[in-house]
Amino acid sequence: MIGRPITRAKAVLLSVLSVLLLLAGYTWMSHRQHQVNPNDTTIPSWSQLAEGVKKFTQPDRKGERWVVEDSLATGERLAMGLALGIVFGFLIGMLMGCIAPVEAFLQPPISLLAKVPQTAALAVYFVFFGTGMEMYVAMISFGIIPALAVTVYLAVKEIPAEMLDKAYTLGASAFEVATEVVFKQVLPKFIDAVRLSIGPAIVFLIAAEMVVGDVGFGYRIRLQFKLSNMNVVYPYLALLAGFGFLLDYGFRMLQFKLCPWYQSHTK
Amino acid sequence: MTLADPDNFGLQCQGVSHWFGENKVLFDLNLEVQAGQFVGLVGPSGCGKSTLLRAILGTHPPLKGRILTMQNGRLANADRPGRDRGIVYQKYSLYPFLTALDNVALGLKLDQTTTAFRWLNWTGWAKKRREFRDRAGAFLEKVGLGQAMHLYPSQMSGGMQQRVAIAQALIMEPEIILLDEPFGALDEATREELQEMLLRLYEENAEVKAAGGKPPYTLIIVTHELNEAIRVGDRLVGLSQYWDWKADGHERSPGATVVYDKAVPVFRPDERPEYALFDDIRREIRKYVYNPEVLQQRDKHINVGPTR
Repeated sequence: MIGRPITRAKAVLLSVLSVLLLLAGYTWMSHRQHQVNPNDTTIPSWSQLAEGVKKFTQPDRKGERWVVEDSLATGERLAMGLALGIVFGFLIGMLMGCIAPVEAFLQPPISLLAKVPQTAALAVYFVFFGTGMEMYVAMISFGIIPALAVTVYLAVKEIPAEMLDKAYTLGASAFEVATEVVFKQVLPKFIDAVRLSIGPAIVFLIAAEMVVGDVGFGYRIRLQFKLSNMNVVYPYLALLAGFGFLLDYGFRMLQFKLCPWYQSHTK
Repeated sequence: MTLADPDNFGLQCQGVSHWFGENKVLFDLNLEVQAGQFVGLVGPSGCGKSTLLRAILGTHPPLKGRILTMQNGRLANADRPGRDRGIVYQKYSLYPFLTALDNVALGLKLDQTTTAFRWLNWTGWAKKRREFRDRAGAFLEKVGLGQAMHLYPSQMSGGMQQRVAIAQALIMEPEIILLDEPFGALDEATREELQEMLLRLYEENAEVKAAGGKPPYTLIIVTHELNEAIRVGDRLVGLSQYWDWKADGHERSPGATVVYDKAVPVFRPDERPEYALFDDIRREIRKYVYNPEVLQQRDKHINVGPTR
């Protein structure tokens, strides 16, 4: 029946089953491919995959472990870009929601910017910011700022006027209404928006790394793909997925910690 | 005692008129409330009860006339919301992100500390916060919500929420509390419980008054339930657009004004309201305030009203 809950045990069983099916399907596809061509590298067997993993976890000729240097480079770019985007996205959204002139002034550029596909605008970022750290950070933050700002702005607008008026009767200043009421009311929705923006941020970053990177996940995946080393590409994809999942989980925990009221509120 | 006495002053509306373009809402409304009075404000829908309440609250000041409240010990225009006027709405009175305790303590925090203090003086703020929470906790105990202190509004019943909302307004000790259809969404039994809570405040008023002090609670309750207005209030004010404005030389209705203002019997909290007793008052209100057919002089049924 629609909406009828199942027991916890059943839910876990089904989750495990879906992962097992995925792995079994892969094994079967790889096996079939290798019967046709024993040297195939497009759908590597499990032993080929193990070789690939060894390749990027052992030091190469220059003594670098790929996975370490790629993780550090990509992680740093992502962290800086996200941090900047989060701070400015939030501030812009708050200012737009709270101050009418700012709203009128910023709405056109924000709504236009939101419609530009970041990956298509890559060249623009290369022109303005070169191919170094600045470019990655600018690309990620500009990419997520419009969506974040609009989410915050709409969430602020959604707050009933009664809640704001009430705060004044409790002795709040305009600044306190913003920090004590608007901020706290908007925070959980903002964290949700940040979670949703992690995906696009990674897409932008990987795309840029594929084009101009000399280290990082995007660079490595493109290079190894050109060499048909899919036994490196697949584990790298899995790592990226894990990376994104952990980040998402972290933000979910943060929301749980900072806004315990939101859990019972949305139920 | 006169209204000019600061110990007796509650609220004064002087010649308040308000309109939205062609739509005339309030006309030359005069209303004086003394400290300690519980005013039931009733009127047909569209008569501008909410407009008046928002004008008193200061979020939508009147276009003409003025509204005076006691602000920091002196009379001032109520042209913006301030801590001298408390408000309880039908909903959205409580902040969903705060527990009952913190909702009640919020006013103390906002009123008595500054942002700079809270952000810079951590130990000082921690101490203050404990003190505010203790006071809020004691207050919640008093209104019978000791058990619910750490619940969020979404975890409370409607009746509990409104109880907390009233406590949240009361702890500020405002000069006047405005209640806008506060129990409109509650069932009958819960409604009566909350009315009793208000009547206990009225009793407290009487005790303080008897001891020679300024009664601490003054309130205006807007409601569409006549019985509620009669039971909770010691004074019933009827706002209506149905009065004989033609006799006053107007070609079109200039808006609603006070057409009824009389003392009503006071009830003890534990007294079962004998609603049959309310019948005479209700009949009068229905006729002079609610009935578009009956147009009388605006001050014909004003007994308490402004001392003009």
